[in-house]
Amino acid sequence: MFPFVDGFHWTFGHVLFLSIFGIVLAVIAVTLLVSLRRTARESKPGKAEAVRWKSEFHDLTDDERRCRHDLAGRVDHRHCHNEFDCRQCETHPKLASVTAAEFDFSTYGLDYPMDRFYHRGQTWVKRESDGTLTVGLTDLGKRLLGQPDRVNLPNTGDKVFANGRGWTASRGGVEVRILAPVDGEVIATGGPDSEFYLRVKPLETNPNLAHLLRGQEVSGWVRAQLEQLQILVTPAGSTASLADGGVLMEDLPKAQPEANWDKVYGEMFMAP
Amino acid sequence: MAASAIKPPLTAEIAASERQWIARGLERCSPLAFAGWMAPWLILLGVGIYATYLCLRYGLGATNLDNRFGFGLWIFLDLAVIALGAGAFFSGFLLYILKWKEIKAVISSAVVLGFLCYSGAMAILAIDVGQPLRSWFTFWHPNVHSMLTEVTFCITCYLIVLTIEYLPILLKNRRIKQVPSFLVFEWELHKLIPVMAGIGCLLSFFHQGSLGGLFGVMRGRPFAFREGFAIWPTTFFLFVLSAAAVGPSFIILTTKLVEKITSKRLVKEQVYQTLAKTTGVLLTAYIALKSVDTLIWLNSTSFNAGFAPWEYYEWKPFGGWILFAEIVVFGMVPALMLLSKRIRTRRGVIVLGALLACTGVVLNRFVMTIQTLALPTLSFDEFMTYMPNWVEFAVFGMVIAYAVIVYSLSYRYLNLFPQEKELSAGNVEVNDVPVR
Repeated sequence: MFPFVDGFHWTFGHVLFLSIFGIVLAVIAVTLLVSLRRTARESKPGKAEAVRWKSEFHDLTDDERRCRHDLAGRVDHRHCHNEFDCRQCETHPKLASVTAAEFDFSTYGLDYPMDRFYHRGQTWVKRESDGTLTVGLTDLGKRLLGQPDRVNLPNTGDKVFANGRGWTASRGGVEVRILAPVDGEVIATGGPDSEFYLRVKPLETNPNLAHLLRGQEVSGWVRAQLEQLQILVTPAGSTASLADGGVLMEDLPKAQPEANWDKVYGEMFMAP
Repeated sequence: MAASAIKPPLTAEIAASERQWIARGLERCSPLAFAGWMAPWLILLGVGIYATYLCLRYGLGATNLDNRFGFGLWIFLDLAVIALGAGAFFSGFLLYILKWKEIKAVISSAVVLGFLCYSGAMAILAIDVGQPLRSWFTFWHPNVHSMLTEVTFCITCYLIVLTIEYLPILLKNRRIKQVPSFLVFEWELHKLIPVMAGIGCLLSFFHQGSLGGLFGVMRGRPFAFREGFAIWPTTFFLFVLSAAAVGPSFIILTTKLVEKITSKRLVKEQVYQTLAKTTGVLLTAYIALKSVDTLIWLNSTSFNAGFAPWEYYEWKPFGGWILFAEIVVFGMVPALMLLSKRIRTRRGVIVLGALLACTGVVLNRFVMTIQTLALPTLSFDEFMTYMPNWVEFAVFGMVIAYAVIVYSLSYRYLNLFPQEKELSAGNVEVNDVPVR
């Protein structure tokens, strides 16, 4: 069979078979080696977080990938393929200049100040006059967590990366990772009892925050999130009813402890 | 009193700890219920392992196989699971080569099924052929004139491919992916999976075909012998086509079975429709070619080999009914059911059609192995009857138990059906969010 085994004869059949077999084995081996080589290169902390986000974004459903311009009513049924990074999107600048017709702006009784930028992982970013960025949890995020049992914030001097781990919080035995909305170095930390969670010195002098939601997009996003939340906290088998226009309670886990909070946190904080 | 005070927290602790291994958003039964489900399969696995020991210790003497009937239940199982496991390569072909995005909903399950079918087939081959410690001989001193050599090389390579394809699914487990290098490796492998899918298609095409060719080239067995093109008898092409046809059907059946057992919707109806239609088209082509092949064999090949074809069907219980069942009942009928949109959209038709299609191909593999070996071909030869003994059934059961156990674990701890989360949320009716 093989040239180094007794009884081997060079024939066309042998050469063809060995060549095909050799190519197949070589492709399998090269594929594995390339993957391992790339893994070694990409496993550094910052890069690994970027890969985690790519992998998690890849698994999002179409509904979860709704484009910001769809949320703002500028286009219909558009999904994001750029990992929510509008800085890489060629269509974003064109759509951003479109004015949506008859868009009813509301944040449904929740507090979403318009001087801030919003990340879909329930965080906000505010530019400070000294060039730093303040990061906090949105009103919906606060109500979802209520009073967390434990919060693990990064240390001062640590770097955070957009869509990577910002900090973690746990409530009722369920831990959730909160995504950082921007790249930067942590210069101060707050917490649940503070106005903010992180104060960050951006890695660039004038950071581009075009990947974060603003204006009408925030309204559409909050509406979609509230609809999603309704489905998630509904006990299985209960009858359908529509929200009556009230305002969300401040501590949702306390108000509805029987809900599957592991699932709710996973979907609402984009931490599958 | 004290015991009842301790028990609930302990159970809850185990459940909470185990929950960390289950993907967020997926509902699974309690660890206790899962253990209850696994117990009988583990017992069956244990009995099979004992039977395997008997086979390896005492050889074929432990079975009802002998020198005349050297291959029986196991080789039938091998050929059947390899055909049914074709869903892995064919769905990979549809998703990564033809870019049918809908197949993404079942690709992970198809890969796991393929891995289980092929690893199960390899395990049973090791027991059937015997002397597994000498299995390297087949690679080192192969018979280059044997179709089995090609099958051996291809199946070995394809099992490696399936293992590589299984890895990213495994590494995506909720806990495992917390290790950054595992997560990155999963992502990098995932990006290169189309290459593996392409290689898988090449390997599957050749080994599925060669398994068929194996019987088609046997001049000494005129019941199976077929003419063909160049070195390939028609059975080469029929095996490839039939495996590709039932691969999607087997995915339908297993997914529907998991849905039934778990009382959950895992895949959207449209995906089932696509898979069913694919089986319908391919099965129609297969049955058309199979019918032509059978007619040529009935009118020419068999006579040329010195046998009137009806002689084969005089040996009971292998009457003419088996040919009718294979081509009409388990061929034309499911092909029509799955091909016609009007028929297959009716309730229950997809499952029935897929079941008939899979049964047809399994029956074909039975005919090619058991019936072929049972029929006498020499004047002094006799018709052989064969019934497997408990050892053979136990080993058969072991492979089934192995597949069920690994699939159950995969379903519980891995996200095999990406649409499950969405569909389970969609099934829940909307209620009020608590308001003040």
